[in-house]
Amino acid sequence: MNSWIKILLPPAAIIGPAVAGYATTYLSVEQAQRAIFPGASFTAATVKLTAEQKKAIETASGVRQRSDEVKAWRVSGGGWLIVDEVIGKHEYITFAVGLTANGAVRGVEIMDYRESYGGEVRDPKWRAQFTGKTKAAPLKLDDDIKNISGATLSSRHIAEGVRRLLAIHAVALQ
Amino acid sequence: MPSRSNSGVRRARPLLGTIVEIALPGDGEDRAAAIAAAFGVVEEVQRRMSFHEAESTLTRVNREAASMPVPVDAWTFAVLQMAAELHRDSGGLFDIAVAPRLQELGYLPGPRRNGAEGTFADVELIATEGGGTVRFHVPGLALDLGGIAKGFAVDRAVESLRAAGIVSGLVNAGGDLCAFGEAPFPVVIRDPGNPGASLLTLELRDAALATSAHYFADRLAPAAPQPPIVFPGAHLASTATPLPRSVTVHAPGAMLADALTKVVMLDPAAAQAMLRRHGAAALLVSTDGEVMCTEDWNATLHVSS
Repeated sequence: MNSWIKILLPPAAIIGPAVAGYATTYLSVEQAQRAIFPGASFTAATVKLTAEQKKAIETASGVRQRSDEVKAWRVSGGGWLIVDEVIGKHEYITFAVGLTANGAVRGVEIMDYRESYGGEVRDPKWRAQFTGKTKAAPLKLDDDIKNISGATLSSRHIAEGVRRLLAIHAVALQ
Repeated sequence: MPSRSNSGVRRARPLLGTIVEIALPGDGEDRAAAIAAAFGVVEEVQRRMSFHEAESTLTRVNREAASMPVPVDAWTFAVLQMAAELHRDSGGLFDIAVAPRLQELGYLPGPRRNGAEGTFADVELIATEGGGTVRFHVPGLALDLGGIAKGFAVDRAVESLRAAGIVSGLVNAGGDLCAFGEAPFPVVIRDPGNPGASLLTLELRDAALATSAHYFADRLAPAAPQPPIVFPGAHLASTATPLPRSVTVHAPGAMLADALTKVVMLDPAAAQAMLRRHGAAALLVSTDGEVMCTEDWNATLHVSS
């Protein structure tokens, strides 16, 4: 009664569809804008960072600022929406942060999540294939998109990313 | 295998130290408000039960409960009561008072606390109107709800979605997930030996599933660090026992599933009776990589390939 039963998984289950390329797109830029600032309108205001600004951002946030460019939008009625990405050991996440006119975080939405255990995450070419993929495509909740029990990720990198965006706001979006 | 293709909506936010995902199948009217409300509920759980936030209810309990009874809200009290029940039922194996050891191991922030190594048995809970009070009877105690609050948050999010009229969906907080409604949801359980691959895929319907595992993500360094699951003080002698690599529990609710993974992880044999009592079933991957399950596992879930 109190014993565990050893099971032999059918070969199909063992081989299984690999989650190595596990990827989910949640929101397009436009959907992220609507989710964080419903009813607002947005004006693109991409910012090029100078070397000094990058250094100031890194000093203020304690996080490395990789990109020279900040994808930002001015929000009608005040505030900013910034789209950025974080790169973990095994994951590559695009996310949007809404800031109020005072620079407080209004909302954080994950736009895109990609996972790899093949070491590709830090390869710019691997990441480049996803650039611009966050379009408004209808999502399917079938076998294409897996729900995973037993996640290995933590949101630490996203927390660092948000801290970095707050520093970007202070340094370059005033 | 007929695969029902549903268009749907899927959202994710960084919460509870992981990524919390809400997936609602099918078309429907704009469900953004229901999803936002459900995320709001998860945020509220985080505000109250986070060990990391200086202003959380839990942090106040850990700071003050050794000197006075600390009043807590109904949600926090419900989680503490469940923790107390599981602590009793497991003979002390499920113990949320292991926070000082987790701090020592670097899994939780904060200075190492010096003082008596108490257990959850040294915590007194008294129900009051609208919640309860918490009192520590030994100094140096600290509680961590990391092994149970994620599941609780998932249950509350599901409740919130249902209250908003959503009939089917799935909430997943870093592997602690709950499906509700008639639709079956495919769920992949990771292979603990190779987290980039799936161990198996299940169909989950109107129930919760939680997985606790320590993954050997780096196969070049198989000497993985100790997982953030530790034996409570009275059971320290068992520390030498190698833990299963991965434990998955199927239960009626996510809080239960979340908490029971820890009991199974620490004592698979003794956990069987508890699993049955709570209407739960479990699957584990042993240290040797063998996959084992409880008797009723197959009746509850079937493997889809």
